[in-house]
Amino acid sequence: MDEKAQKTIAGVLDKRMNRQLLYYLDICTRCSICKDACHQYVTTGDVLYLPAYRAEIIRRVYKKYFTRSGKFYPALSEGSEVDEKLLDELYKTTYACTGCRRCMYYCPFSIDTTWFMAVAKAMLITAGRGSQILAELAGAAVIKGESIDLFKDIIIEMLKDTEKELQERVGNPKANIPIDKKGADLLYVALAGTHTILPAAVIFHQAKANWTLSMFEAANYGYFLGDVKQAVAIAKRIIDEARSLEVKEIVITECGHAYRVMQFLYEAWAKEKLPFKIRGIVELMAEYIKQGKINLTQDKIKEPLTYHDPCQVGRNAGFYEEPRYIINQVAADFREMTPNREKNWCCGGGGGLVAQPDLDDFRIKTGEIKVEQIKKTGARIVVSPCENCRLQLDSLNEKYNMGIQITSIMDLVANAITI
Amino acid sequence: MDWFSYLVAGILVYVAVAVFLFGTAFRIYQWFRVTRSSVKLGLFPRPKSTLGRGFKLVKDSFFYPQVREVDAAMWIFVLLLHLGGIGAFVGHLRLFNEFTLIANALGDEGMAQFAMWTGGTVGIVLMVSVTYLILRRFKSPYKDLAIPEDYLLLILVLVILLLGNHLRFFGDIHVAEYREYIHSLLAFSPAFPEAIAESSTKWVLVSHVLTANLLFIYFPFSKLIHAVGTFAGNLIRSEV
Repeated sequence: MDEKAQKTIAGVLDKRMNRQLLYYLDICTRCSICKDACHQYVTTGDVLYLPAYRAEIIRRVYKKYFTRSGKFYPALSEGSEVDEKLLDELYKTTYACTGCRRCMYYCPFSIDTTWFMAVAKAMLITAGRGSQILAELAGAAVIKGESIDLFKDIIIEMLKDTEKELQERVGNPKANIPIDKKGADLLYVALAGTHTILPAAVIFHQAKANWTLSMFEAANYGYFLGDVKQAVAIAKRIIDEARSLEVKEIVITECGHAYRVMQFLYEAWAKEKLPFKIRGIVELMAEYIKQGKINLTQDKIKEPLTYHDPCQVGRNAGFYEEPRYIINQVAADFREMTPNREKNWCCGGGGGLVAQPDLDDFRIKTGEIKVEQIKKTGARIVVSPCENCRLQLDSLNEKYNMGIQITSIMDLVANAITI
Repeated sequence: MDWFSYLVAGILVYVAVAVFLFGTAFRIYQWFRVTRSSVKLGLFPRPKSTLGRGFKLVKDSFFYPQVREVDAAMWIFVLLLHLGGIGAFVGHLRLFNEFTLIANALGDEGMAQFAMWTGGTVGIVLMVSVTYLILRRFKSPYKDLAIPEDYLLLILVLVILLLGNHLRFFGDIHVAEYREYIHSLLAFSPAFPEAIAESSTKWVLVSHVLTANLLFIYFPFSKLIHAVGTFAGNLIRSEV
């Protein structure tokens, strides 16, 4: 690699520098407390997945190119040149990180490793070494945003069967799934496919909500890829749709990272204040139940059931009680995992890992802790309000022969709703 | 004062204090001249009130309770190291001025005994804690992650402690003489009183001051800056 290319890649660090990142670069003592917090390090024992080491790769580049210590006494601080070996390490460790931020919870300085991973991804993209599959998925989402008229008829066609199912479920031939409805109170953003549309439609119908379905899926592969421009473009499709429909709020389906992008990242990235609220559907469902807008059967699920706190819903968004409130309305034998809430272990599927086939074996291996956690509860049903978590739990269920059922909260509610 | 002692225990002390203060201020300035990302990185649950946030900041920065859950041994030794560091700092203040309140209550002999026990305990505790951290650094995965600076700092601190403990347990210099030396530094005319100049432990003192100077000089440009930055990091943890 020539010097110019090295400097261009290292220069990303300078361009993406901010105060928080500089703190993190300066204050880590490499105490490695984070080693016991990361499911990937605990299950593989490979230092490459130790959160402080992940950050250290970036820190070495920073020291080499941007500090006097790196220039004057490089031997002490171990500054590193950007070369193929470094990029290989960076690729392996960066796209494997699920962004669960459990390491931040245990770090005595509260260093956020994802902040390093974001820069690492930007450096890899600059080097032409970003994840191909995530880039393709992100690119496809952006194209859909640019030419939605081409997709509209396909969406309407796809919804016809779902609408029929809805009518059968609620016993009302007039029940429908509105799209492009101006003046709706809420814009519901589902995932690709219909599995998150039908249960939501049942719930909205019963709650007599004035809603409309977004033509875009909630998943944001630009975020997983680490390309802020694409991540903003993907989120902006939904923001623009909400604006043109003049809705009061956007309700994100059970998808952890999609909620995080819209609620915590979009405004800062796009530098614009949103004129409407962002909510997760779990919060809304809990509200409907509390307000009596939907009624649930008293015939509760008798099988033991446990709840997996998705990192982006719990630790990174603060929804601990709403899911538990709903679960306790529908399940008679709810059992907590240990640990849970902010200390819960990552399932191993977040951060776009479930979309990267080259990481399949890795995520199955690193899901061992989650398997043990679930087994200890004795639960036969695992509930989790995040698509990535559910896909990972499905894989773990199959590979470890767990014989459990994995479900969303929406499905629990839609099945328990009294029509 | 011989020329070497004058250089190390005189001139270099001023240099070390100046580098420490200006260097630390410069590092803080470096942080603040960089734009802050407006992304909120706080973890949940987080305190709702400013008071709650402040309380959590103090708790996290001084006691790091979450560390205890994953590595109890490390938590104890690091806590002892930091508390010992504060203890050593407070103990050295006696070399500037006598703690008259305690001295009046205990009397001269009692105060000397008190200083020997508290200072001695702190010195031993610090030495044990640093030794633990050094030994830990030679184990995987800590050594895989370590850079030379990690060893250098720990060894430097250990040497300072060994020399300090030697002065405490085996030296023949007493508090009044140290105080005289410190006051000469404060008056910008560094000099050793006769008792120090002619003492056999003078070179231990000079070495203790030399290594301490080196630590102070290196402090702002090393990972020791975490002593300041930890508050920033832990504040981000609860930002809304």
